[in-house]
Amino acid sequence: MPEAKFKCLRCGHEYTGSYTPGTPQELTCPKCRSNSVRRLPEKKPAQKD
Amino acid sequence: MMDVGRHPNITLYSYSEVDALTGFVGNFHVTIRRKARYVVESECTACNDCVEVCPVVVPDEYQQGFSSRKAIYIPFPQAVPSAYVLNMEECLGNNPIACGKCAEACEKKCIDYDMQDELISIEVGAIIVATGMEVYDPTELDEFGYTRHENVVTSMEFERLICAGGPTEGHFLRPTDRETPKTIGFIQCVGSRSENRGNPYCSNVCCMNTVKDTLLLRDHYPDIEAKVFYIDIRAFGKGFEDLYKRSREGGVKYIRGIPGEIEEDLETKNLLLTVENTTTGQLEKHELEMVVLSLGLVPRHDGDLLKRFLTLSNTSDGFLMESHPKLKPVDAPTRGVFFAGCVEAPKDIKDSVTQAGAAAARASILLNAGKVKVEAITSRIIEEKCNYCGICARVCPYHAIVEPDRKAKKAPVVIQAACAGCGTCAAECPQDAIEMRHYRDEQYLAQIEALMAERPHEHIVTFACNWCSYPGGDDAGTARLQYPTSCRLIRTMCSGRVDEDFVMHAFRLGAPIVLVSGCHFTDCHYISAVQWTQKRVERMWNKLERLGIRPERLQLDWISAADGQKFAKVMRELEEMLKTVTMEEIKHTMEVLSNGKAEKKATAAKKAKVKVKKKTPTKKAKVE
Repeated sequence: MPEAKFKCLRCGHEYTGSYTPGTPQELTCPKCRSNSVRRLPEKKPAQKD
Repeated sequence: MMDVGRHPNITLYSYSEVDALTGFVGNFHVTIRRKARYVVESECTACNDCVEVCPVVVPDEYQQGFSSRKAIYIPFPQAVPSAYVLNMEECLGNNPIACGKCAEACEKKCIDYDMQDELISIEVGAIIVATGMEVYDPTELDEFGYTRHENVVTSMEFERLICAGGPTEGHFLRPTDRETPKTIGFIQCVGSRSENRGNPYCSNVCCMNTVKDTLLLRDHYPDIEAKVFYIDIRAFGKGFEDLYKRSREGGVKYIRGIPGEIEEDLETKNLLLTVENTTTGQLEKHELEMVVLSLGLVPRHDGDLLKRFLTLSNTSDGFLMESHPKLKPVDAPTRGVFFAGCVEAPKDIKDSVTQAGAAAARASILLNAGKVKVEAITSRIIEEKCNYCGICARVCPYHAIVEPDRKAKKAPVVIQAACAGCGTCAAECPQDAIEMRHYRDEQYLAQIEALMAERPHEHIVTFACNWCSYPGGDDAGTARLQYPTSCRLIRTMCSGRVDEDFVMHAFRLGAPIVLVSGCHFTDCHYISAVQWTQKRVERMWNKLERLGIRPERLQLDWISAADGQKFAKVMRELEEMLKTVTMEEIKHTMEVLSNGKAEKKATAAKKAKVKVKKKTPTKKAKVE
């Protein structure tokens, strides 16, 4: 399963976790147990010309 | 089974599969594939002539591989109908015919090598799902040496070995030397109650199955010394404790601890178990002649198709989820569908029979009524607004919306009997072309306006679902749990009903924090509607960020009906968050959302992104 960065919008805790693309999962912040967890968009590497 | 086969009101389709299933309560259309058995069952008298001449010998699955069968066989002695099946994959070949001995031997000419699968369409009003379960495969638990040590067998294999109709005709013999063992050990919870390997849940039946097996051994072979290795014995059913006591009193030794390793004596083929007895705290070694692994139960591996056909969902353990665990334990979330047996959860024969009786009664009530009463909370398509995009049909957890025809400009149709009223379609419709009866957009917007009429910056607007989060708030109240008074609740039937417009309207009127709350994923009363809630909230977080509004101000939480503690905790945390939202921030949000320009700009930017995606030929635009 691919990994992604997640950010808790309650306590601000950022962590890396796995996710299944296309399948919503119940996300829980490992620190504060809130479900307001947002998957941060992946930063695309700069393209070389 | 014989009674079922003979019953005038029951048509039994054995050796068949459901190929397709459409429709809704009272009007299900089922396509059944009757697999070709290559034997005309109405003519077959089960005389055994074909079996005697068949040259193909394969392991018998029913006897757990302890004996063999032929390529033409009866799956098990009590099978209904009592007619043979020819397994064409094992047969030497019918095109061209390579053997043909069975056809030559059959006096009644029942063998038909040209038989094809048959598709049968039937219409039914209600469906009872009773597809059962499977047993856990213990090969991954290497410490027990299953398949490495011949004398380690599973509880299913033990059943065949001790059964009068089994491969040894009821003479209990161990596999290596065909002698009756003098010592035997049972290891409990194999594949159950483990977070790391196997399954975390209790399989319900294994403890009593082992107690029964020990009593059986004691009755038939009183000299066998039996030991049971367990975590704890769960004997909670009627009369079960008595059975357990009888087993102990009969001399069976119960040792609290699961062996960490089983080694085999290469000469005697005896097994050496190393176990920590958690009662004494001692490390013990037990030499046994045979070990039985008491296997847990797991959901069927091929259940996904039926789940898709009937729009069913499963609980975290993989078994199918009922409509309500206490009030509707036999009903599926889809109307007109009922459960019986282990398809819903691991259970013993008694409970399965009880549930089957209840399911039959529930189905009879439905069929005898001839009509169904549905809640008036259903969706309605406003055809003038519809642009035939079909999102509503795709997001409906119940498949209750017939897809629109864009070319014919035919709007989608809501099957009122199938609609459960979650409101996901209304919330997802980009044209606002769906109205929920009794829970209209205007009613929600009016509620938000009423909440925001006075001191809006002091209030946390909370959308709470009818089934979990709102009762969660009730639970907090009845338990007299303290939480801040800034919380303002708006009840929705499902969190899937929370439209983006509602959230933005609350922010537009000055709400500092908005909370969307609903059931946990596995508790969702509308199958998968809560998943759309999450997707929508994620979209809103992105939108807020594009508008320069902190996404943190929109919060999401799954709160169950019994979790008043969590409800109160969330409210306390949001009260703290509320203090961090400044008046300038609220004013900026109100300005951005009121003039609409920035919002339109953000929407346009998003649309432009979607267009770019559409141009890429390999990627299909998906509905988020």
